[in-house]
This record gives sequence, C-alpha cells and structure tokens, in this order.
Amino acid sequence: MGVEVDNKETAVELTEAETELYDRQIRLWGLESQKRLRTAKILISGLNGLGAEVTKNIILSGVNSVTLHDIQVVTEEDFCSQFLAARESLGKNRAKASLERARALNPMVDISADTQPLEEKTAEFFATFDVVLIIGQSNNELLRIDAICQELGVKFFAGDVWGMFGFYFASLQRHSYVEDVVKFKEVEAKPNQKAKFEKYAVPVQREVNYPAYSAWIDFDANAAGYQRQLKKDGPGVILLGVLQKFRTAHKRDPSYKSREADIGLLKAIRAELAPKSALSDNSLEVLFSQISPAVAVVGGVVAQEIIKVVTRMEAPHRNLFIFDPDTCAGYVQVIGG
Amino acid sequence: MAAAIDGVLPGTLQELVKKSKVLVVGAGGIGCEVLKNLVLSGFHDIEIIDLDTIDLSNLNRQFLFHREHVGKSKARVARESALSFNPDAKIIAHHDSVTASQYGVSFFQKFDVILSALDNRAARNHVNRMCLNADVPLIESGTSGYNGQVELIKRGLTQCYECTPKEKQRTFPGCTIRNTPSEPIHCIVWAKHLFNQLFGESVDDEDISPDAADPDAQGPPQQGDADAAAGGDGDGDAKKPTEAEEEDATNGNVVRINTRQWAKDCDYDAGQLFNKFFDEDINYLLKMSHLWTSRKPPVPVSWDTLVPEGTTDVQPEFARQHHKVWTVEECAHVFANALKELAAAFLKQEAEGETLSWDKDDQPAMDFVAACANVRSYIFNIERKSRFEIKSMAGNIIPAIATTNAITAGISVLRAFNVLQAKWEQCKAVYARLRPNARGQFLVPDASLAGPNPKCYVCALDPAITLRIDTKRVHMKELRDDVLIKTLNMLHPDVNMMGTATILLSSEEDETTENDSKLLHELNVVDGTILSCDDFHQNYNLSIIISHFNAERDDPLFEVVADAKQLQPTKEQPKKEIAEEETVKAKEERKRSTNGADDGPSTSKRSRPTEIEDDDDDDCLVIEEDNDEDVMIVATDSLSVESTPKTAIKRKPSEAMEEEEDITEILDSSDEEAAGPTKCKRSKIEPSDLKIDPLMEVINID
Repeated sequence: MGVEVDNKETAVELTEAETELYDRQIRLWGLESQKRLRTAKILISGLNGLGAEVTKNIILSGVNSVTLHDIQVVTEEDFCSQFLAARESLGKNRAKASLERARALNPMVDISADTQPLEEKTAEFFATFDVVLIIGQSNNELLRIDAICQELGVKFFAGDVWGMFGFYFASLQRHSYVEDVVKFKEVEAKPNQKAKFEKYAVPVQREVNYPAYSAWIDFDANAAGYQRQLKKDGPGVILLGVLQKFRTAHKRDPSYKSREADIGLLKAIRAELAPKSALSDNSLEVLFSQISPAVAVVGGVVAQEIIKVVTRMEAPHRNLFIFDPDTCAGYVQVIGG
Repeated sequence: MAAAIDGVLPGTLQELVKKSKVLVVGAGGIGCEVLKNLVLSGFHDIEIIDLDTIDLSNLNRQFLFHREHVGKSKARVARESALSFNPDAKIIAHHDSVTASQYGVSFFQKFDVILSALDNRAARNHVNRMCLNADVPLIESGTSGYNGQVELIKRGLTQCYECTPKEKQRTFPGCTIRNTPSEPIHCIVWAKHLFNQLFGESVDDEDISPDAADPDAQGPPQQGDADAAAGGDGDGDAKKPTEAEEEDATNGNVVRINTRQWAKDCDYDAGQLFNKFFDEDINYLLKMSHLWTSRKPPVPVSWDTLVPEGTTDVQPEFARQHHKVWTVEECAHVFANALKELAAAFLKQEAEGETLSWDKDDQPAMDFVAACANVRSYIFNIERKSRFEIKSMAGNIIPAIATTNAITAGISVLRAFNVLQAKWEQCKAVYARLRPNARGQFLVPDASLAGPNPKCYVCALDPAITLRIDTKRVHMKELRDDVLIKTLNMLHPDVNMMGTATILLSSEEDETTENDSKLLHELNVVDGTILSCDDFHQNYNLSIIISHFNAERDDPLFEVVADAKQLQPTKEQPKKEIAEEETVKAKEERKRSTNGADDGPSTSKRSRPTEIEDDDDDDCLVIEEDNDEDVMIVATDSLSVESTPKTAIKRKPSEAMEEEEDITEILDSSDEEAAGPTKCKRSKIEPSDLKIDPLMEVINID
C-alpha cells in the first residue's frame, strides 16, 4: 500500500516537472499537443548538420523517442554544423557519436542509434515510426522509402542542405489537422462608448491530401506554365534540380576539396537542365559543406513541420520548401496533385 | 568552424569571418542559437553578455543549458557549451547588464557587428542608441511564439529601433480595477495590487479598495463613508478599529500601511481578510448605486458560506491542478493556504526591513493572485480562468519554442555575413511566420531596406519632441522616472532649462534632490519652456518643448505628442456603427502592425504581415489594446516625432566633441614641433573636457 502511494506521488511529480519544462511551448500549442508529442516516435536518417539541427529541435519539443540513423562516419566538415558530434569522435559513426549530446538535451526522450544500411531497411522497420525524415539520399532511395511509408501511413519527409541552400519535401498522404480560424464578435458596449470587438478563435478540422515524392521527380521546371512562378520565386527549384542531378550523376555532393572543379560540374549540369535560367554563378559559390546558420533555418523549419504533423495542429506546408540564402526567403511550392 | 576549412566558404567571406569581432547581446533563446552558429561558422573572436541566470522553463529551447545548469549564469554556461562545439574560438562571457556603465560607446566600437537577442524593450532601446553612437551595424532580432523577426540597424542607412513608435503597455483606469471590473485581466491586476498592499513594496496607484470618487458613481452614497473611502480606505465602513487611526486618509501611503497593519493585527486570519476584501468591500461598492444602473451588480461572498469548517493544513489536490478552473470554494482554500505561507515569509522579510516582491514563479504568490482574481471574477460575474492561464496574463509570459528561435538566429547570422561583406542592400528585414503569405513565403524578406525616420527622436540629427504635461500636478521626480526613463528610455538623464544655466535634474547623486518633490511649474517649467535633456552614457541629447494642459481626473498626466497637430482639440468623429467584419479585421491588422513586442519581434514595422501577439515582459497589463477613452496612458499610434521650431541655438555634446577633435587634428598636422603638449592632446578627449571652452585649449597648446 505504502509503496503504491509513493509511486503515485512520483508520477505526479514527474508530470509537474514536464509541465514546468515545456511551459513556454504548452502556452503556444496547448496541453493536448504536448500529450501527442509525448507519444511520437521519430526516425532521423542522415546525421549531418541538418540531421543534428532537426534532432535538437525535436528532442527539445518532448517527443517519445528519436532514432538516429547513419552509416557514415564523422569527418572534418561535420564540424561546420554538426554540433552533436564531439571533436574527439572524428572517424566514428555519426549516429553513435551524436548520442551523448542528444540525450543531454532532454533526458525525458528515449534516444537510440541505428547503423544498419538504409537499403536493408524494410517496411517492418519504418512501421515503428510516426514520422520519418531522410537526409542525404539519392532520389531512388527516397522513392523507395516514400512508397513504403505511403503503404504504412507513415509521414515522410526528405530534406537536404548544400552549403547555405536547402529544401524539404513532405509526403504526408491524407493528413487531418485542426486549425484556428480567427473571427470577431461584437462585445456588449457600455452606454456612450464605441462598439468593441473581440477576437476569438474557432478550431476547425481540416483534411488535405499530399502527393508522393514521385510528384517532385515528375515535375518539369522548364514547363511553360511554370515560368511565371519561377520568375517570382527565384531559381531555387532549378538549383535543387541541379544539385540532385549532381548527386545522381557523381554519387556524391559537391565537395569543398574540389571546389573549383565541382563548380564547373555544376555549371555543366545547369547548362544541360536549365540553359536560360536565372540561376547565377554566385549562388553556386555557397553550396559546399553545410553552413551552420542556413542549416539552423532549414532544420528549424523541418522540425516545426514534424511537430505540426505529430500534434495535428495547423496546416503543414504543402509540399516543397525552398530556402534561398541570398534573400533569406523561405517559401513553399505546390508540386503535383 | 567553416571558415577554418579552405574551400567551404567563398574566399572573401572566409577571411572576414576569421578576423571579425562580434558581440552577442543576450544568451537566451535566440542568443544560444546565434552563439552556436557563430562558433560553427568559424568566428574566432566573440563576446556574449547576459545578466540572467538559467531557469528550468528555459530548457525547452535554450539548448546550451541543461538541468544541472539551472541557477547558473547564462552567459558563462553558453560560453562553455559553445566552446565544446569549437574549442578554437575565443569567447568572453559577461554576466552583466548591457546597460551597465562599463559598456560605453568605446566598448561597442570594438566590434565589427553586434547581434542582439534581447527580450525586453528597455535594453533594446539602449543597445540601439549605443550602436548608433558607436556607428556599429546592429542586427536586431526577436521572437514570439511562431513569429520571428530580424532586421539590420545601421546609422544613416536604415531606420533605428526607435524610429517607429512602440505600442504602450496596456493600462487600466483605477476605477475599473477598484470598482467596475469587466474582464479577467481587471481582476488579475487587482489581485496583484492586493498582494502588494499586503506584502509588497507599496506602489502609487495600486489601491484595491472601492473608489468613491469614481465619476461614474456620480456622488457617493453617504458623505461620511465617502470621505473615508475617497482616500482609498480599504475598510469601507466605520466598524474597523483602524479607521480611527487614519490621520491622513487623503494620502494613499498612510492608508496602505494601515491596511497592511490591519491584516497583521488580525494575525492574517483567512476568514477575516477574505470577508473584508470579498464581502464588506463589495457591499460598500453596492452602496454606490449609480455604478450599477447600467451594470450587473457584484454579488459578495462570505467566508463562512464557502469554507464552513475552516481550512486544513494540507495542500488539497486541486491546488496543484493548474489547468483546472477552480470553483470559488476551491479558491477560498487556496487563498487561505497561500495567505499563511506568504504571511510567514513576509514577517520574516519585514524583520530585515524588506518586503516581498510578486513573482509568477513563486508558488504561494501565484496561488494567491490566481485565487483572489478568480473570487473577484466570480463576484463580478466574469469568466474565471485556470491558474495556468492567469499565470500567462499576470506574468506576461511570451510563448517560446526552439524552432522559431533556431530559424530567427540562423537568419540573424546569415545577415551578419552580408554585413561583413558590406552587402547592405541584401540586409532587408526578414519575418518568420506560421502561415505562408499569398506568395507562399513564410520566411518573408521585406521588399526594401527601411530608411531612417527623419523625425525620429533618437536617430534624427537634432532630436526634439513636444511633451504635453500637467505642470501643476507632475513633480520633477515623475518627470525623471515616468517621462524620461520609462517613456523616453533614458538611463541617467540630466535636465537643463534651455538658454539658462539652471540645472533642474542631475544624474549625479544628491545634486538636485531638493527638486524631486517640486512641481514642474514651481521650477518655472511651464507652457513653452524648452528643456535640454542629456543622457551622457547614451551620448543622447533631446530637446523637450513643454506644452501645459490641465489634466482631468483619470487623464494621463502627460503625453509625448511631438506632432503639433495633436495639440489641437480633436473634433469628435461621427460615431459609426461598424459591424462588418472586414473593417474590424483591417483595424486589427493595423493594431497588430504597430505592436512592438518585448521578447517578441523587435520592432513595429509598417509591413509586419500577420498575427503578432501582444506581449511585454515589463510588469503587468498587456494582452490587448483597450478602447476605453480613460486609459491611463494613451496608446501612441500616432507618435511620429515632428521637428519643432528651434527657438534657441543649442550645441550638442557630440558636435562639441567633433569640433574639438577637429581642432586637435589640425594642430597635430600643422605644428609638428610642438612635441609634448600635442601628443597629450592627441589622446581621446574625455567627456569632462567638453565643458571647457575649446578655444581655451587651442590657445594653451599654441
């Protein structure tokens, strides 16, 4: 009996600790959202700078568990933005090297590392997550995993940052969420006073369909109907195409070690993919490694989207996000569907 | 450490990052993120300043801090954590206020760029002024919930932080708080005042008792009662023994001490106190029958009906349920328990000559306010709130999340890259939003760089304002504290009468103390007077043209007008019954667009796109704008500072400084033989030198 009472008290304490820790965010998204976060299981594959930023934000938010997946080792360039891996971990597996600092961010979140190659992962593995974020993979691998996630109803994100330029693509299948719609009502006015209006929010349930990652593969940035949009937004979508083509063609990303040669290769792809585009030479200068502030922006955006999806609060952006480091504009494009 | 690896950054940027010296002001949500971005980018020479210590509620976003760091210096722990990301960086941490006198203009001048990540307007104003003076580019940032903002402030190129007026804190007329509350916030403010009456430092204008002089009441019910109550007598009827002792019922302080004394004399008996505040005082209010002709009258509650058996010592279960809306009975229990704890704490403090100060994170203090506010809400038929919600309102808590801070800090450091490369045109302000705009952007750059406001009372060449003020009711002390410090954001103002040598207010201790208690008109500060106000530390000089008016009761005693047109009596606008949602929406948009927010998006920009929440971490009273005509401080949407006719030629210290330096320069170059003395004069001219006529010095050197 006595033990039982003690346990109960500890449980209450813990809840108080949680509400105190998450106080400032509960005041934004409410208790219900925080409870949903508490049950969410997230996979982050690709622990480069972007992976580290998303990991940090997601762990801080108080999800149930985060699985850090990577087969690569920590290299020198990781120290440009991958703050979870300590200096001493050079040459060690990036996911494992990130564990200690990731856990220190929030002891209430269950964090584990997985180092098995992604190609070997099947539906059984992906089914254990609510949200999957894949970083640094080829389009083929992204298509494969997205197809599995479609089948399972697991929310899928793909994202990357090259230097200061970044994107993510969201494949959320059928997603329902609650959104506050602001309305105004007149408040009973005192005699001789102006009419007063009061803002109030009405929660509205909404549902939206997201196309699969294949929609992006099928997308033609050169299509005549897209040119006006392209002019308005800038050449971010073209640049993303160039970089993904580079990855497919050379089985790697542009490297700072071969900076000038790789800029040449990028120009060649640009000439081939979008000969008359507004994609400037300058924007090819800042695509190397991952630059911390830009990664922080994209990592912040991706993490916020994952939080939206988990809490089912507010509309997730639909469905391709581009960050333009030149202007610091971050915008979404509807691709497909 | 991107800059440490060749080939990662373009060559010029790499060099600039390596050699630049950067100051980060604030080690909170944005500051932690900024510091991480800086060290990882390869900045070597960084200083960070923050006076705060780490709190548990910081840990959901200030990721350089962990549980074991709670209570420690933010600046120091942030430095340690950031060094683990890049041990090659050199970081100096200052656990200090950025407004402290050792961080003068010369301190700011050391840096190539300053990134500010502050959470309050006063410090932002100050850093703005220091950076303008030092002519160092400032990247100003702020967040509130999902919203974030980054903007460049550079002297002569962009608008400064104070170029656009910030919305005032929302305040309420005394009689709304004391007599006729109609919203939860009114009861919350009242409860905080009650706390201060009993346990806190006594503050003017914080009466909690019925106010019989309320013009709405149109005459007190009985002359005898009214006299006692007019002075803020909390007792409200003649039965109380304390009343007889009140020598001077017109002086609020005397009464306050007596209310406090009376509570002490009752031994803080929960029932007696409860009945006085929630039964007797309410009954007194009911006697002011005019108040209730157009309002629903309050319904007093008495202790015995709520807590028949008295309270228990054990903290009941519901007291910890912060998300539950307590019943009025539960409030009474919480009141009793909180009162007991607070009384004990107060008596302990009192013995050392101290008082309690209200803190939203102090459990009994917060319990007390939540319970009292809700009982009062119950009495006035106002919706009751959970303790959690009351804490938001009473403590002005601004929601904050890791992601918005990360995004905002990222943009801030990207802007720093542009600043170092002098790509000024690429430094347009950027706003982070929850929902995309029509163009699909939710990280939204401004279309152009906003230029300086030529009439800004801070960054204009020769700043001046008009001050509408009741010179027969405002004392010098209030001019200093409420106008110069709180409204015009000076730190240590000096005030001279323009055209005379009379020093009205000195920042030196005790130099003008005798003026503190004098009314302005007694010091010959009357309509048309021009005051020259200096803040030496901020290197700021402002002319204030006095425009006297006789303030009505409950009118604000002063208003910074600046726009001469506002001095004309305004014609009453034809009242329109606006019902269309659109109109109101537009109005709301406009309101939002001028909301300067502490801890929030830092400036009020004409183009702030959407949904900024009101917030302010200074003391109390925000939430939303009030349309009441009788607000204490009128919202100054229209404050655009107009240059005023210059009736006297004045000489700014900065001008004097420049001239002086010029003269020394000329001497240096033209008179090279004058070895000794010239060298001496080459040294930086100290402020005190400015008082010496520059010509005198020239002669001396020659």
